[in-house]
Amino acid sequence: MIHFQQVLKRYPDGYEALHDVSFSLNRGEMAFLTGHSGAGKSTLLKLIMLMERASAGSIIVGSQDLTTLPRRQIPYFRRHIGVVFQNHRLLFDRSVFDNVALPLEISGMTQRDIGRRVRAALDKVGLLSKEKLSPIQLSGGEQQRVGIARAVVNKPPILLADEPTGNLDPALSSEIMKLFMQFNQVGVTVLIASHDLALIHPLHYRVIELYQGSIKSGGRHG
Amino acid sequence: MAESPKASGARPAEKTHFLRHYFEHHQKVAKTTFFQLVRQPLTSLFTCFVIGVALVLPVLLSVLLNNLSTINQHWDGSPQITLLLKKGVPSLDAGMLAEEVGKRQSIASSRFIDNEAALEDFKQRFEFKEAIEFLDENPLPHVIIVRLYPEIQKLDTIKQLRDSLVTLPEVDSAILDAAWVQRLQSITLLVERAVWVIATILSLTVILVLGNTVRLAIENRKEEIVVVKLVGGTDPFVRRPFLYMGLFYGLGSSIIAWCLSHWVIYLLNEPIQALASSYQLDFSLSGLSFLSTLFLLIFGLSLGWLSAWLAVRKHLDEIEPD
Repeated sequence: MIHFQQVLKRYPDGYEALHDVSFSLNRGEMAFLTGHSGAGKSTLLKLIMLMERASAGSIIVGSQDLTTLPRRQIPYFRRHIGVVFQNHRLLFDRSVFDNVALPLEISGMTQRDIGRRVRAALDKVGLLSKEKLSPIQLSGGEQQRVGIARAVVNKPPILLADEPTGNLDPALSSEIMKLFMQFNQVGVTVLIASHDLALIHPLHYRVIELYQGSIKSGGRHG
Repeated sequence: MAESPKASGARPAEKTHFLRHYFEHHQKVAKTTFFQLVRQPLTSLFTCFVIGVALVLPVLLSVLLNNLSTINQHWDGSPQITLLLKKGVPSLDAGMLAEEVGKRQSIASSRFIDNEAALEDFKQRFEFKEAIEFLDENPLPHVIIVRLYPEIQKLDTIKQLRDSLVTLPEVDSAILDAAWVQRLQSITLLVERAVWVIATILSLTVILVLGNTVRLAIENRKEEIVVVKLVGGTDPFVRRPFLYMGLFYGLGSSIIAWCLSHWVIYLLNEPIQALASSYQLDFSLSGLSFLSTLFLLIFGLSLGWLSAWLAVRKHLDEIEPD
């Protein structure tokens, strides 16, 4: 589902965030991306969702070669990828419902279908009763779950998360992880960047470790 | 495997869905944007006022232009030559001469004014009654007013015609009335130019002011734009609320410009009427016609949309998720 082949990312200032990165993630697989801060985890995720372009090498996501994807196609490509951010990036000027509905509105769905899909997603993360609230009235863990609901409401085949538990206590963190595992069980390919080794090691998923912009372990297979 | 959603609707059933959604979405964006502006009544009103004031000047000048052209039409633009006949030409002969002159080439019509009738008219119109009664004889000559065809506008041709009429034995002198018309036409032309120049300059101002307003709105909603782009919002989707914002500002400004213009016309009308009547003219400023109102509305809307589009084009593409 995700194939990196000798990917190099060099920023305009000369900083090399990633070099010679090759790995594959199969359809329906779930993996963690670890490494110290600055190891290149976020850059790798940004490359997958085309927030950045690779300087060299090839990246194939789904059946799409990202090196040749024209700029105007990027929005349509992104609709197939759900993303969860550490700071969840919710919009505080609208309700929980409207936050989750945003991707559906963008992809062109009627209001009736939107209502159905948003409630299903909120139900999944256990926040159905809070759809009318503003995200600011929710706790940190709840806000992150709204972010997850927004990421999955489109039923994307790929789900990415960048330090989704970064601001949460261990109990809330493991609940969030359980949610990701549930999505993986219904076939979603999941890649989670996290430095919280104590949280991810007991889960026995594949771990890809980055070290100073290269893959140290977990890159083989595929 | 989760169902993979297709972006722009590959199946035909989704195509009609897509159109319906498209209009549904436009409606929603328009509504949301409108209420966003209404929620900050002072800021919005102030912006509309600034732009409305900028629109008033060209609007007023074009009103003046319309009114000038009604005077012009009244005049119908055809040059006129007034023939003053020699003393002692009998009234009957003068009338016949008028008829004969009227049949000449390039002359549209001729009108004979008897000197007695003219004197009566004079007495009626001006307060010279007593002064005139002191006179032993009628000081006024017979007059023939000759109107040329309106196509004849070249001064040389008109002068040639006048010269040929002067050679008639009964004619004492001939006065060309073209100067008045020409002057009015020049003024009209000048005002017309002024309208365009001022409208262009002020449109630029409006574009700058509105563009800046939209730029600030974009700045304020940066986070939203980033999120929309991250979850797959296309450029038109991101632009839409700002374009609607421009349209609403344009609409508000047009309405304010319309009201202000009518207020100014109301204020000016009385002194203008007084001035006109001192020239024996029955003239008053008329307000904006339906067509001018429509034009003002379309002009305001286009200007709003254009400013927003320019601002959005310049600033929105710079905002990319990081």
